[in-house]
Amino acid sequence: MLSPERLALPDYEYLAQRHVLTYMEDAVCQLLENREDISQYGIARFFTEYFNSVCQGTHILFREFSFIQATPHNRASFLRAFWRCFRTVGKNGDLLTMKEYHCLLQLLCPDFPLELTQKAARIVLMDDAMDCLMSFSDFLFAFQIQFYYSEFLDSVAAIYQDLLSGKNPNTVIVPTSSSGQHRQRQVLGEASMEGVEASLFYQCLENLCDRHKYSCPPPALVKEVLSNVQRLTFYGFLVALSKHHGINQALGALPDKGDLMHDPAMDEELERLLVQVPGLVNSVTASPEASCLPSRTPPRVGSPWRPLHHSRKVDAESDGSTEETDESET
Amino acid sequence: MIPGKYRSVSGRATNNVNCGLHLVIQTSSLPEKNKVRFKQVEFKLNKETPSFPGRLLQHDLERNYSSRQGDHINLVSSSMPSFPILQRSSEEKILYSDRLTLERQKLTVCPIIDGEEHLRLLNFQHNFITRIQNISNLQRLIFLDLYDNQIEEISGLSTLRSLRVLLLGKNRIKKISNLENLKSLDVLDLHGNQITKIENVNHLCDLRVLNLARNLLSHVDNLNGLDSLTELNLRHNQITFVRDVDNLPCLQRLFLSFNNISSFDNVSCLADSASLSDITFDGNPIAQESWYKHTVLQNMMQLRQLDMKRITEEERRMASILAKKEEEKKRESHKQSLLKEKKRLTINNVARKWDLQQRVANIATTQDRKDSDSPSQDPCQIDGSTISASPEETGSLDAGLTSALQGLAVIDSHLVEVDGDTLSLYGSGALESLDRNWSAQTAGMVTTVSFTFIEFDEIVQVLPKLKIKFPNSLHLKFKETNLVMLQQFNALAQLRRIDQLTIDPQGNPVVNFTLWKYYVLFRLSHFSMQKINGTEVTQNDMIMAERLFGILAHVASSELPQYRLISILGDARKKQFRYLLETKGKKPGIVNEENNDSKRLVGENTNRATLNYTTRDFYNEKLEEIKEKKKFCKMYIEDLVKEATEINMKNEALQKLWPQMFIELVRDAVIEIRNKNSYMKLCLQQITDQK
Repeated sequence: MLSPERLALPDYEYLAQRHVLTYMEDAVCQLLENREDISQYGIARFFTEYFNSVCQGTHILFREFSFIQATPHNRASFLRAFWRCFRTVGKNGDLLTMKEYHCLLQLLCPDFPLELTQKAARIVLMDDAMDCLMSFSDFLFAFQIQFYYSEFLDSVAAIYQDLLSGKNPNTVIVPTSSSGQHRQRQVLGEASMEGVEASLFYQCLENLCDRHKYSCPPPALVKEVLSNVQRLTFYGFLVALSKHHGINQALGALPDKGDLMHDPAMDEELERLLVQVPGLVNSVTASPEASCLPSRTPPRVGSPWRPLHHSRKVDAESDGSTEETDESET
Repeated sequence: MIPGKYRSVSGRATNNVNCGLHLVIQTSSLPEKNKVRFKQVEFKLNKETPSFPGRLLQHDLERNYSSRQGDHINLVSSSMPSFPILQRSSEEKILYSDRLTLERQKLTVCPIIDGEEHLRLLNFQHNFITRIQNISNLQRLIFLDLYDNQIEEISGLSTLRSLRVLLLGKNRIKKISNLENLKSLDVLDLHGNQITKIENVNHLCDLRVLNLARNLLSHVDNLNGLDSLTELNLRHNQITFVRDVDNLPCLQRLFLSFNNISSFDNVSCLADSASLSDITFDGNPIAQESWYKHTVLQNMMQLRQLDMKRITEEERRMASILAKKEEEKKRESHKQSLLKEKKRLTINNVARKWDLQQRVANIATTQDRKDSDSPSQDPCQIDGSTISASPEETGSLDAGLTSALQGLAVIDSHLVEVDGDTLSLYGSGALESLDRNWSAQTAGMVTTVSFTFIEFDEIVQVLPKLKIKFPNSLHLKFKETNLVMLQQFNALAQLRRIDQLTIDPQGNPVVNFTLWKYYVLFRLSHFSMQKINGTEVTQNDMIMAERLFGILAHVASSELPQYRLISILGDARKKQFRYLLETKGKKPGIVNEENNDSKRLVGENTNRATLNYTTRDFYNEKLEEIKEKKKFCKMYIEDLVKEATEINMKNEALQKLWPQMFIELVRDAVIEIRNKNSYMKLCLQQITDQK
């Protein structure tokens, strides 16, 4: 708690870095808006609930986009909420279009902008036929990268364009060396140049990470991504980022790709709901994961909240009981 | 036999038939077998209307004079190679000086008739004559009969200026011609020929009877000038239309049996002929029509006989009644088609406006997207002027409708139609019609409501009204309503009940999504819908819907903090009540409504109640409202932070300075106490000073 670097920052900046002020402002704003309702059950309780929900990651549900985008924690929570709510869609195996995914996003955030979804889709589809169908996992991981690091990616795009246009005299026009994941992702169209040199690219990125105030992927992992290849294109880079397990874990929002469809607690809940469907005769075939597997804890690196599926009492009203559960997990 | 009236007077006295024709009629015994000349068919008119006086009866006249074949005729071969010369005995000449019968003489040419310049009647029936020749000298001829020969052309008559009766039936004549000089002609019989056209008869102003039966006529015109024509026989031709008959001032009898007339319009000139009293149409297609009799009677009030039957008063009355009925029916159907056309045009108009709106909106959104991050779509100002029907559309209407519609200065921009159990609304203006006072019966019968060319967001706002005014509406149809998001279906949850939902792919992009049906079933599960887009909803569908979105509902209800739940639900309810208040005003009746509604809301699966849909406009409005609050909050927090940091700074400063301060305090104290005596004195001094 009392790390030296923390004490080194002036007060305001410290608060800003941890986005405490954002939450404070938002809390007070919510209080103002719902004055009548909240005054009925007490302001203290309101603040408790509010910050609990911030911890749990449920504070972003049905909120406006400007709030969701405000802090990295919000973004990660949103990604997680999206995963949890629509994991079943992915499990069902449906391939959906970009527009439909956007619709699902809008169910959780009514004014989510289309551009972000489009950019995410572009990562998956490499700018071809934007009406193509995408699988849930592909889209989700690409969306994660795009949404969480959106400012970072914008800067990277600018750097890439600079490198392409030859600002750096060291750019050599050499066909990309073959590397497993990237081969099929080469940019079509421009026959002369195919991507930029990886090491050069990395240097620029490193500089960027140092001075960037927005969140960036851990530089070590970026280096890992770039070390595999000689040259790569912009989208190749993005795809590599999205598929990299380490980065996913560093972010801490979503489980590993292999575990993407697993959420035993939710599955149990789903069974309970399905039983309630009116007129149901046969019990629905229980998904095998629901009963047997113990809940997992994906390793969290510095994430401020606890994974929700630890708390088994999911159907309990969120009126303070989760507090106790959280305490017990610490 | 010959009717008594026309039985001739004996002797050679000329008998003036009323028509003013001079003819010699003689009685004598008539060998009947010679006189089968006129088949009954041709002149059945003569037989059937015996009451009409003053008619000429050629065949009766014919019968009256004797002519035993070949008795008193000598045909002598002449010096001229082809023409025989006819000579009669002087006895014969004296006896029958004005008539000559040469029927069935196997003549192939007309013989030269010498010394018979007084001849008035010449009979060449039943021969094989091919050309009319050698009679130019018989300038007193009044009656010329060439029935049943092989004549191909009318010729050789130009000197017969006195000719009154010309009988050329059953020949091979193809054209009416060369009759210019026969200005006194009274009867012209050309039946049984091959004539295709009526021509060259316009100068025959004394002609009373014209027989063109059994020819090849296809139409009747060119009859002007026949100012005396009383009877016109056109049976057994191929006539399809008749003209010029109204130019015949004396025409009384017109026989059109066995032709090809199929419509009264083709013979419309008959209605204008005041003199016509007798007409036949039998054997024409028109006589088969159901409206035949009364149409003819109605249009030709002057008729006395139709198809040889007297027209009774009863018939006339029936005819006028039926005609009136027809008129009414036509007017009705005209009105109906007018209405339909108007409807069609209105719908087209609405569709066009909708298209325009969509196109403009599309341009606006793409521009917005380029500009800002979070696009706020302002509804574009569409030119509100009504669009009148474009020329290409009116071109498709018939003339009557076009003129009627152009009388409508403005074509509606929306359409409301109640058709039994369906209420159809076209165009956003139609939504206002929900405010109308609908009769309980009409409103109660409506089970299907169909929206076309209306923005879904606008429909959402009137759904509460719909719920109240049309409580039995179970089936909703949406076409061209711009349904683009799954979210929008959330808005339908506020209705009382929906059994069926039809979302037409046209104009509703949401149908292209794979999951839309499941989402609808999931969100509106409390309605237990039976059909979506015509297909039955199965148990599996419901399960799948729950499976796909069940967790969403769970998250939306159980994981939201309490205050958010209340605020979201509160918002929704507040909005609904606002609509109710606006529409109904402050009537005491609403209170119950509201209570019932709120109860029903609870009945809805509260699981999903938090999934609401606010139209984009409302949402942006809300966000705008919040901005002020946000600013205030920001400032407030800043103040708090400032205070906190100040206190923190002071605290830190204190932390830093305290050791030094403490040491100084201790040092001061130690220095003070070093000299016990002086310290004691100092303390006492301090105490006294204090007082």
